[in-house]
Amino acid sequence: MNHTLRIQLSSVEGAVIRALGLIERRGYSLNKCTVSEPDGTGRDMEVSVTSSRPGDLLKRQLERLHDVDHVELLPSVIVNPNKPGVRPITRRI
Amino acid sequence: MNASTHMAPELRSGSKILIRALECNGVKQIFGYPGGTIMPVYDALVGSGLKHYLCRHEQGAALAADAYGRVTRKAGVCMATSGPGATNLVTGIANAFMDSVPMVIITGQVPSALQGTDAFQEVDIFGITLPIVKHSYIVRAVADIPRIVNEAFELAESGRPGPVLIDLPKDISAGMGEVADVMPAPRPAGRMPDSGAMQAASEILSKARRPLIIAGGGIAISDSVEAFRKFVARTNIPVTSTLKGLGVMLPDDPCYVGMLGMHGNGAANHAVQNCDVLMVVGARFDDRATGHLAQFAPSARVIHLDIDPAEISKLRKADVAVVGELVPALEGIQPENTARAGWCAQCANWVKEFAWRYDAPGKGIYAPKLLRDLSRAQPEGLTITCDVGQHQMWVAQHCRFDNPLNHLSSGGLGTMGYGLPAAIGAKVAKPEATVVCVSGDGSIMMNVQELATLNRYGIDVKILLFDNSALGLVRQWQELFFEGNYSEVHLDDNPDFAGVARAFGIQARSIKEPEEVTDAIEWLLNSQGAAMLHVSIDSMENVWPLVPPGKPNHKMMKSNPKNGR
Repeated sequence: MNHTLRIQLSSVEGAVIRALGLIERRGYSLNKCTVSEPDGTGRDMEVSVTSSRPGDLLKRQLERLHDVDHVELLPSVIVNPNKPGVRPITRRI
Repeated sequence: MNASTHMAPELRSGSKILIRALECNGVKQIFGYPGGTIMPVYDALVGSGLKHYLCRHEQGAALAADAYGRVTRKAGVCMATSGPGATNLVTGIANAFMDSVPMVIITGQVPSALQGTDAFQEVDIFGITLPIVKHSYIVRAVADIPRIVNEAFELAESGRPGPVLIDLPKDISAGMGEVADVMPAPRPAGRMPDSGAMQAASEILSKARRPLIIAGGGIAISDSVEAFRKFVARTNIPVTSTLKGLGVMLPDDPCYVGMLGMHGNGAANHAVQNCDVLMVVGARFDDRATGHLAQFAPSARVIHLDIDPAEISKLRKADVAVVGELVPALEGIQPENTARAGWCAQCANWVKEFAWRYDAPGKGIYAPKLLRDLSRAQPEGLTITCDVGQHQMWVAQHCRFDNPLNHLSSGGLGTMGYGLPAAIGAKVAKPEATVVCVSGDGSIMMNVQELATLNRYGIDVKILLFDNSALGLVRQWQELFFEGNYSEVHLDDNPDFAGVARAFGIQARSIKEPEEVTDAIEWLLNSQGAAMLHVSIDSMENVWPLVPPGKPNHKMMKSNPKNGR
């Protein structure tokens, strides 16, 4: 499943890498990312990710970061689940 | 405290401003280890109101701060220099993150102008710890210190607690500034649960025939034990507990069925597999608790209470999510129907059927029985810290806890070496408590240097060391799941642990025979000052029951099918 999220970040050190790190670490493969700082008050980030995990879970995981101000989950698009890059849910044994 | 009480600014170093900011946040004790880039802070520490405990490895300092945070529910503070000092803290930070423990970590950093040049003892600790902190800061201006410290404590202690790191470049800690103290502002009220969700939860519970509650670590973290016990008394719903939820219910409460999960009690695992409604309170469906997730509580509708929205439906879909503070959530959920005699009787029968047995056939000391006897010897107020391995599971199974803050165990990260520094942190936080560190011969060696900390400060911690001359839990898994192909688990060459303790100035005693146990427990609990009781046990002893990996919780092994042991 493909998910697209718009993320508003504070303009503080580490905010972008913290959000991107969370996205990959939580099992979402990053397809596309744009970051801009339109008016100097904060950063807008838009990411497109692929995962078997739900997009709204990633939204809630991003929302608990202190320097994430707002997250919007755009309507998702179904893609070929066999597409390379889909990271399966793995479990510890 | 008054919000934003500003005192007249005076020219001070960043380090003095930092120390004062810690004091403004109520810090009295710090665990740490000095080094090059943190030296200005250690300079300012002299003559301050803070008591610093020099641990003998930064990991020990971080784990002591973790335990201090668990016991007090206020952020434990640890401090180290840049480079190896900072990286040695990492395991302790991860430990606090996984178990939602409030902690503030201060690391020295090379001067700002040298950052990014591979300077001596430079590491990007901010980057290294990104996935294991609730938040983190690099201080870029002396004037920012009071705000950052206040924010760090608020973040660490509010909502779902966690570790917050402050990386402090040396030019900032040594730099000067006219900066006023800023008292922390009052904390905003916690998130209130949604009334519609509480109503929906009440309706599901009213219709339930076989409801069950999982009591998790979040109940203690949010100081909701009394509210939880009242809820159970009011609704008469059977309760199981996670590892971190032990002590939330009194062990002999008729509604309590024991701990669930991989080494849980059979009663709890059967109850969870047979319930039709599962109310999960401050727990997160950890794989050690659920077994094979797809077959976990297969007939149950799920009500999930948690402060963290990101835990809802992360692993198991919640039919009703009650997100917010636990006390109002527990008070607001009011099922009308509480009559379920048949189900409660069934649970009570399982409790009887799966009651622990202590008539082990072996000739040596049986660790579960010793732990039960220890709990009986001092039934109230005994704080037990654990390392990780077989002894940790035996403590969870056989020690009695009437308060979850009395059981300090590395649940999420499973950190061997937690027990001894945790006991130091717990004893510093609660000097009146009897603190026992239960460890194993593998784990104790992970932070054995902290025996020197016990001795240095005269910290009265009792160490109960089970010695099976093996990495017991790994050996058990190799026996059961790797066809007895034992690989790197034998510790026949262990040192003389009692001799090691004595070398650090800690009194010690070794026992091997069951007849010695009663007297030895009395000696340990009544000895003056720190003491170690070294207990030799059978190297082939296993922890039972065990839910094999990939199996549902009711498919418990009770012995090795090949030899019946």
